[in-house]
Amino acid sequence: MKKNDYLYLDHAASTPMREVAFEAYKRTESEAFANSAGGHELSRRAKNILEESRDKIANHFGAAPKEITFTSGGTEADNWIIKMPFINNQNKNAELVTSAIEHEAVLGSAEWVESLGYKVHFIGCDNAGVIKIEDIINQVNSNTEIVSIMMANNETGVIQPIKEISQNLKKIDQNLIFHSDVVQAVATTKIDFHELGIQSAAISGHKIGGPKGVGIMFLSSEVKIPSFLHGGKQELERRAGTVNVSGVASLSAALEEQQTHMELQNKKILKEREDFEQIIKNNLDVSVVGEVVDRLDHISNIQFKGIHSETLMVALDLQGMGVSRGSACASGAQKPSHVLQAMNVSDDLINSHLRFSFGWSTQKGDGTKAANIVLTSVRGMQ
Amino acid sequence: MRVLVAMSGGVDSSVVAGLLKSQGHEVIGVTMKLWEGPNGEMPETGCCTASDSEDARKVAAKLDIPYYVLDYTESFSDKVVDNFIDMYAQGLTPNPCVECNRSVKFDHFLKQAKKLNCDRVATGHYAKILVNNSNYELHKADYLEKDQSYVLHMLSSETLEHVIFPLGTISKPEVRQIAAELGLKTAFKKDSQDICFVGKKNYRDFVDKRIDISTSGEIINSSGEIMGNHEGVHEFTVGQRKGIPGGQGSPKYVTKIDVQNKKVYVGNKNELLTSSFYLEEVSFVNDIQTENLSIQTRYNSDDLPCSIEVVDGSQIKVLLNEPTFGVAPGQFGVLYSGTKLVGGGRITTKLNEKLSV
Repeated sequence: MKKNDYLYLDHAASTPMREVAFEAYKRTESEAFANSAGGHELSRRAKNILEESRDKIANHFGAAPKEITFTSGGTEADNWIIKMPFINNQNKNAELVTSAIEHEAVLGSAEWVESLGYKVHFIGCDNAGVIKIEDIINQVNSNTEIVSIMMANNETGVIQPIKEISQNLKKIDQNLIFHSDVVQAVATTKIDFHELGIQSAAISGHKIGGPKGVGIMFLSSEVKIPSFLHGGKQELERRAGTVNVSGVASLSAALEEQQTHMELQNKKILKEREDFEQIIKNNLDVSVVGEVVDRLDHISNIQFKGIHSETLMVALDLQGMGVSRGSACASGAQKPSHVLQAMNVSDDLINSHLRFSFGWSTQKGDGTKAANIVLTSVRGMQ
Repeated sequence: MRVLVAMSGGVDSSVVAGLLKSQGHEVIGVTMKLWEGPNGEMPETGCCTASDSEDARKVAAKLDIPYYVLDYTESFSDKVVDNFIDMYAQGLTPNPCVECNRSVKFDHFLKQAKKLNCDRVATGHYAKILVNNSNYELHKADYLEKDQSYVLHMLSSETLEHVIFPLGTISKPEVRQIAAELGLKTAFKKDSQDICFVGKKNYRDFVDKRIDISTSGEIINSSGEIMGNHEGVHEFTVGQRKGIPGGQGSPKYVTKIDVQNKKVYVGNKNELLTSSFYLEEVSFVNDIQTENLSIQTRYNSDDLPCSIEVVDGSQIKVLLNEPTFGVAPGQFGVLYSGTKLVGGGRITTKLNEKLSV
């Protein structure tokens, strides 16, 4: 099998880079490679590209340019906003409210905050994967420093009612920070941070056809938190370290293309996903996670009854199709999903799920092609 | 053929993958994750560590074959580790490698291979499969020093049909040479000797932590006198000399463990001489054979000429031509006829009652 025949349905993990992103990266690296903090012609060129990119990116999300800080990715942004309010916090009763289905970047940061002795509430979800607004509100009090709820889940695609949550939180406490990890949502959703009513957000470049190693931290101008990385005075003194200008330019180009064509892209993706799910449902004993609730267009998490998903994933790979199961650990072996556990999926079914995720590089017919490969593999296993 | 190769990250299984690939087979490499740390990570010591799976991945990349780390922790923990602890708690001497081959490698792994449409599974065991009148026979490896047929004795002809042991006709130095020629980074890697899930730690500490009931009791000599107390029957195994309270005269050995009454019996070495014992849960590779037999009572021990009497479908009595020391209940007795492995079973606790000197 040639590598380019490989059917890639793991866009939720990472997407291939868009051509415009490659070009922007190359162009910036050759024409404006200098340190954007320097005082000469080449530095100015880099600085100009950086700030132009910041303006464009901010514009896509309805934010002011100074509310955008560039990070190494979504994980850094999540770590920053969740941990820093608890560093040297004079209120020993400060609390954090988050959910049990967050991405590991949020969960890991929350567990760290917990290890410092602060109270952390991990809110559960219903069987469809939706977090109830009142469950969040019930845990919020005058000690709550920050609430962190993802906009859409990376394993199931299930969308959370962020706007309603923010409206309810505003009624309780005007000062608390509402953070949302929108890393997965941004792939197929138009987002306006202020309209959503969130004070901070994390975005990763490589989920939308941009490069890895660059991300965005949105921080509303009304919020001040200490720096996470110390050193030089880059990024309005918020984040030290030479700015990855080529990465930012590349991310900006990817985002520009993505935002311009999102409607068309989503239509294409949704068509493939519908074809895929229809064939699978007609032929196999399966259920589709989040089918009855709001769900991102590009994610299809399927439960294959009586099938061990680890073996099925290998069988699919051997047939030239890449999908994923839960979160991968360093060695490659995978553990049962914490998201499915929170959704109360029974022990005998929790290892029967696979996530198929479509994306901008998905081609017409991929959904049918993928479904047929799945049918062949599942039948081979029975 | 499509072959699923169990790759531990050692030189033996690396060479198996390399040989099969060079013979033109479609080779798929798998590291079975058998045991894990508290957060699901690969262990750092013993066999099957994170660095071992990293070695296996590098070998697979060098050979350009698909490679996966698959999760076998549940079957390993249920079938091998729990059994290991139970056996010690019962005063028996377990052999976890046999249990792992029986329940994990040649059961769960084989089933997974079939689901992946593989024609065969292959491992880096030193043993040979020969076909005789459409019966698959298991034989000792040509390189006797490393022969591992003992730990594979439970495999039936039907199972062997789906298995390849490419190292059956190769010596260890040759294996290392092939690995070096193929440019595999495991060529000069040290062999692992530890029990994989215990690592370099003392296995008694491992067991201690996992047994909640106290099994401490008395140590009694052959005249019935109490010689002292012990911390738990799992600390002892028949034939053991270490940890026995000193006395005058000849060294003392554990001769019998009475788990029910938490008593450990000790005696002189000649009290350990055994000329007959029973095997239970016996299996045969092909049909039962009663002539020209010898038996190994431990991994890689001497072949002792013997005869057998069938008690019932799953039990046999073994009569040694010459009495021997160190037959331990819980270990396996494996019967051979020349190089051909006939069958085997677990040496039973009845040994002690039937002990004949």
